[in-house]
Amino acid sequence: MAKTKGYPEALETKLRDRYMYGDDSHPEFTDSVEKISMSIPHMCYQCGTCTASCPSAPRSSYRIRKFVRRVVLGLENEALTDPDLWLCTTCYSCTDRCPRDIAPTDVIMAMRNLAFKRDIIPVNFLKTVQAIYTTGHGVPNNDVNRAARVKLGMDADPPTTHTYKEFIPGIQKILDYYKLKANADRIVKEREG
Amino acid sequence: MAERKTKKEISSTKGTTTAVKKQAPAKLAIGEQPAAQKEARIGVFICHCGTNIAGSMDINAVQEYAKTIPNVGYVDNYKNMCSMPGQAVINKAIHDNKLTGVVVAACSPRLHEPTFRTATKEGGLNPFRFEMANIREQNSWVHMHDQEGSTEKAKDAIRIAVAKASLLEDLFPKSVPVEKAAMVVGAGIAGMQAALDLANAGIKTYLIEKTPTIGGRMSQLDKTFPTLDCSQCILTPKMVDVGRSPNIELMTYSEVESVEGYIGNFDVTIRKKARGVLTPAEAAAKGIVGGGCNGCGDCETACPVIQPNTFEEGMKPRKAIYIQHPQVVPLLYTIDKEACIKCEICVKVCGEKKAIDLNQEDEFVKVKVGTAIMAVGYDIFPIENKTEWGYKRYENVITSLEFERLICASGPTGGHMVRPSDGVAPKKVAFLLCAGSRDNTGIGKPYCSRFCCMYSLKHAHQLIEKMPGVQPYIFYMDIRSFGKMYEEFYYRIQDEGAKFIRGRVSNILEDPVSKNLMVFADDTLLDRPMKLEVDLVVLAAAVQPSADTNRTRKLFGVSCSMDGWLLEAHPKLNPCGTTTAGVFLAGACQGPKDIPDVVASAEGAASAASIPIHVGHVELEPYFAQCIEEKCAGCGMCVNLCPYTALALIEKDGRKVMQVTEAKCKGCGTCGGFCPGGAIWMNHFATPQIIAQIDAFLLGGEH
Repeated sequence: MAKTKGYPEALETKLRDRYMYGDDSHPEFTDSVEKISMSIPHMCYQCGTCTASCPSAPRSSYRIRKFVRRVVLGLENEALTDPDLWLCTTCYSCTDRCPRDIAPTDVIMAMRNLAFKRDIIPVNFLKTVQAIYTTGHGVPNNDVNRAARVKLGMDADPPTTHTYKEFIPGIQKILDYYKLKANADRIVKEREG
Repeated sequence: MAERKTKKEISSTKGTTTAVKKQAPAKLAIGEQPAAQKEARIGVFICHCGTNIAGSMDINAVQEYAKTIPNVGYVDNYKNMCSMPGQAVINKAIHDNKLTGVVVAACSPRLHEPTFRTATKEGGLNPFRFEMANIREQNSWVHMHDQEGSTEKAKDAIRIAVAKASLLEDLFPKSVPVEKAAMVVGAGIAGMQAALDLANAGIKTYLIEKTPTIGGRMSQLDKTFPTLDCSQCILTPKMVDVGRSPNIELMTYSEVESVEGYIGNFDVTIRKKARGVLTPAEAAAKGIVGGGCNGCGDCETACPVIQPNTFEEGMKPRKAIYIQHPQVVPLLYTIDKEACIKCEICVKVCGEKKAIDLNQEDEFVKVKVGTAIMAVGYDIFPIENKTEWGYKRYENVITSLEFERLICASGPTGGHMVRPSDGVAPKKVAFLLCAGSRDNTGIGKPYCSRFCCMYSLKHAHQLIEKMPGVQPYIFYMDIRSFGKMYEEFYYRIQDEGAKFIRGRVSNILEDPVSKNLMVFADDTLLDRPMKLEVDLVVLAAAVQPSADTNRTRKLFGVSCSMDGWLLEAHPKLNPCGTTTAGVFLAGACQGPKDIPDVVASAEGAASAASIPIHVGHVELEPYFAQCIEEKCAGCGMCVNLCPYTALALIEKDGRKVMQVTEAKCKGCGTCGGFCPGGAIWMNHFATPQIIAQIDAFLLGGEH
């Protein structure tokens, strides 16, 4: 690494160009997020009520306020490539409290949709897709749960696709229609071999 | 074409003109055109309005078209018709072409009708022979990108205006005398200032206040920003002036019951609520020598009934017989009828003064005034509706108004700032700005309440000054310090040590044991969520129109905006006027205002309200209805329809006919549109004139 002249490699990252340029802004990104989310993120005045309400914010680098700001400015790449996008728990506390009546949760979901179109998605989300495809549940029942349920006097399996397995093909049909399963399989294979 | 002609024939026979003419051949009947006007010669003047109009349509095409419209005797265009040279064009054309009417195609009549009426008058015509064609607001501005469409629409508008102008008549405004008295409703700082100004200008002024004392919200405040004057100290001299002014007739504990009449002659009925206590004058009138309330307070000491004192925001007790605070004007006790148990102990201790009459009943007083000012003020938004901040759920969450009372030396704690849960002085205090303001959720208020930033800065200052070691935290979105010396005040408070956190508080949790509060916010400048433990939270709650505003405004015929604030005639150029002639607005009832703005607005309203009184008479637009007595069947159905009680049935030549009180009539047309016999003639909006307009539109100018 001759160009760092002996400095640690991190310097290159530290000294990178951090300007926001006009070209970074894509108004059509704002439009498509608004359309998918059916909300009005362009009305955000950055008060921070969302981040202050967020259970993820105090425990991570996830800042819902910054994501909404990126939508306002149309910073598509910055928003969709930020791995924090996937840290929203979709608890909807921000949506409850937003004084501008924006639904930040739905804005995040819209951006996740757009990211997935570019194959940007963590593998654990894809594994959830695979689990839903095979069992009808994102988090399928397991032996520990079954034992606990029986102990509490309930049936070992809940009255869902776990009990009525004949409904699983219907769920699979929906996922197939949107090629969700096929895409999930493909991306998981690419990443994990 | 044949069908169209039939329509035209039908419509023209519908008009009243012909019918009236037959019945009254001798003198000119209502709605009849003088013979000369049969050959109408209308001048059409097309305004470019810079590029406002000319930029969106083909002025030349419109001008060429206008020349082909029947009755048009002259057409011209000019860059700015409203300018002096533009008006000179109209003036000259009237003389040179012997015009009988003028059409200006320009902006909205609301903006420039008076200008062009004057120009028409200066040209030697009756000003009411002017008609405006709106080709700006209703055309060029909204069809900015449709050159062809807006050109065609302008042609239509001009053709329609010419059709009406051809049938316009000479009208003469009616002059009515103005009663040399005014009324001010609400005696807060706005109403007091307006009343003092009017009184000092020599006008008899009735000042109506619904609570037992004057002073309003300002008397509840401790200090005022940015000068830190003691609010009561600067207010009480004005209160005393109001009480002493020979020209002010003060009516406290009174409400406006009904309003009749019109500018210059309002008949107002005041309900003097029974306060159960006689003034010395009232006592004297009853023959009680040296009696009446002198404010000694013996009754209050004796009264066994305890109630929350609303002046102290419920934080202090008062008795069923009470004064709100020691500086009340007038110094006169009032009995809370809801709370009084009629034990009559007060009557006994009052003794020979005989000031107390527990059976007193509401009294109605009628006064006549020329103009009126509404100064009905504001209330605090019920901030408990924003549940996330826990007001009324957590003891140590208070409103700013409660803070004012707690820090005030005459307040419930004698000025010792303590928190409600345990009476201990707080060490860390959070101020929440925009609490319920700038809120588009439908729960709070969408507007900025305008004075919360500044009073919260002041609160922070008061804490730092009074209680060394206290740390105020100000949670804000934007600090709006736009007034004179306000930004400097912001600088000073920051210098004094208040911490400003740029983030809106999302929610508050209470520690059930210590009653301390956890304040959650995003420090948006640091980009970190924060959880701050404080001892006291002060909510800078939004303000809203006072509870009685809606009832009172309806009595005076004043409109309100969507959020309930009273609507001014023009937000920039007529902020004190209303759409009801003779009724004006002062203070925060028109929208949130701080004290300097309130006083300025009150002085403006007083000045505006004094003008008609000093002039002595007002000219009313001659748009009133007139009864064509030959056609009137005397059914009287119009009488009840009239929203202004301007109509009455009278006996004439042995039969009943309707009669219009012209000064009361606003020309709304309700009666004229309804009259089954077509016996009501609406000046300036007469049936033949309107039918001519409709024909001109539908028939496209073909005859």
